[in-house]
Amino acid sequence: MTVFADFGSTWSKVVDPSVKIIKTKELPRDIIVDFACGHNSENKSRRCVNELIALSEGGLRLIDEKDFLLVDVGSRDIKYVLYEDSQFAETGWNQECGASQGFAIELLEMYYGLDCNQLDPPGECYPVPCGLIGISRIFDEIIKTGDERMAVSRFIKGIALNVYHFTGKPKKMYLSGGLCENRLFIESLPCEVVPLGRLVLIEGLKEIYRKDNRSQGL
Amino acid sequence: MKVGFVGYPPDKIMEEYRSEDLVDLDNDLGQVEERDDLYLPKVSCSVIKRVFNNALAIRPQKIIFDVGEGKCDSGRFLSWILREHFGMEIVETRNVNRKSHGTVICDSRLSLLKKFDLILNNIVEPKDYNLTKEPHPKAGFWSVPCWDKRIFDLFPDGTKIFGWTRCFENSTPEDLELECHVDKDIPTVFYAQTFCSKNILAKNLARVYKGLYVDCDGRMTASVRAQIEAFMYLRGAVK
Repeated sequence: MTVFADFGSTWSKVVDPSVKIIKTKELPRDIIVDFACGHNSENKSRRCVNELIALSEGGLRLIDEKDFLLVDVGSRDIKYVLYEDSQFAETGWNQECGASQGFAIELLEMYYGLDCNQLDPPGECYPVPCGLIGISRIFDEIIKTGDERMAVSRFIKGIALNVYHFTGKPKKMYLSGGLCENRLFIESLPCEVVPLGRLVLIEGLKEIYRKDNRSQGL
Repeated sequence: MKVGFVGYPPDKIMEEYRSEDLVDLDNDLGQVEERDDLYLPKVSCSVIKRVFNNALAIRPQKIIFDVGEGKCDSGRFLSWILREHFGMEIVETRNVNRKSHGTVICDSRLSLLKKFDLILNNIVEPKDYNLTKEPHPKAGFWSVPCWDKRIFDLFPDGTKIFGWTRCFENSTPEDLELECHVDKDIPTVFYAQTFCSKNILAKNLARVYKGLYVDCDGRMTASVRAQIEAFMYLRGAVK
């Protein structure tokens, strides 16, 4: 049995072949899987794969289009690959500025006891150059209006617009990662969004595994 | 006498100081005290910070500072500050040479690390090299000399050098046409130091030539490394 894992900064996805989504801080310390990508995966796997390559292979497997933009929004980063006429055209990974993406949203939902699937996108938003600066704007607005739901919604729309601008203001994007389950985030993006779920990178790892086996005649 | 230099001053001026102890202040000179945080804004590029820290740490008797279009405005302002505020003796130059010296190192089969070392050392100890040209470069690298040399390890041997470094080898540091020359069929990484105005060129050349644009503030980050590795793999430059 081959075990695949996508080790995120806060959530890890392990497939053996059942799917387990585990908090990264609760992973067994001595875990070793066969194929992995992500946070510290070189120490937790027999084969470590570049995350952008895993994302790319996952996109090619799951998306039946010649032209596509696939965006993975993680806890602290945004990654994307762009294909044109079935050829790799562009990639980007914003890990430094604009960080604290998914994790900031998760913390806010927990702290204020909100469910983003119950919130509608607001008309306005904050510019969110990074999670921390955005959070200070939330506090300012709550002090001013007392409306926690609106303040958090505006912050999340700001993060969604960051993703939209970073990926080149597309007409359509395929979305990967935990935010596929966040209606407010998806509806805040001003373009067509096709959510593909949390296992796109795992699908990429499986595809690389299959290609390796084929090339070795297995 | 220890003589520092910055950028690519004209060969004729460099020749006058050839017998002195020449030090390239743009380069990594090992452990020097970092004082830029006291004097320079955070939005200064890593190379400008390095020049400043090197100048203060080494205190050369004289600095030949190229302040022409082959360097940058930040360099020109830094030259003034070093003279006016830190009492250093500065010889300001503007290298407008357009006589081509050739680009045999940029086009050779050597590794990127070796190429950059030869090109940068050639200003201190000029030599003519007879190197075999790489007929089918798998990748291209458009950049100025990088703050973090570990980036060179990500490229296959024979990677062709473009950008200001190519102008540097060619002895024409302000030749914008050459700086923007790229072979369109080679997958090329367009690299600029964060806060350097060359980012404008890098981003747009990457867009036009379907390359990868990266900007990096000093030390290479995990995401910059991953982007370059993925780009090289997905464009077939490495297996």
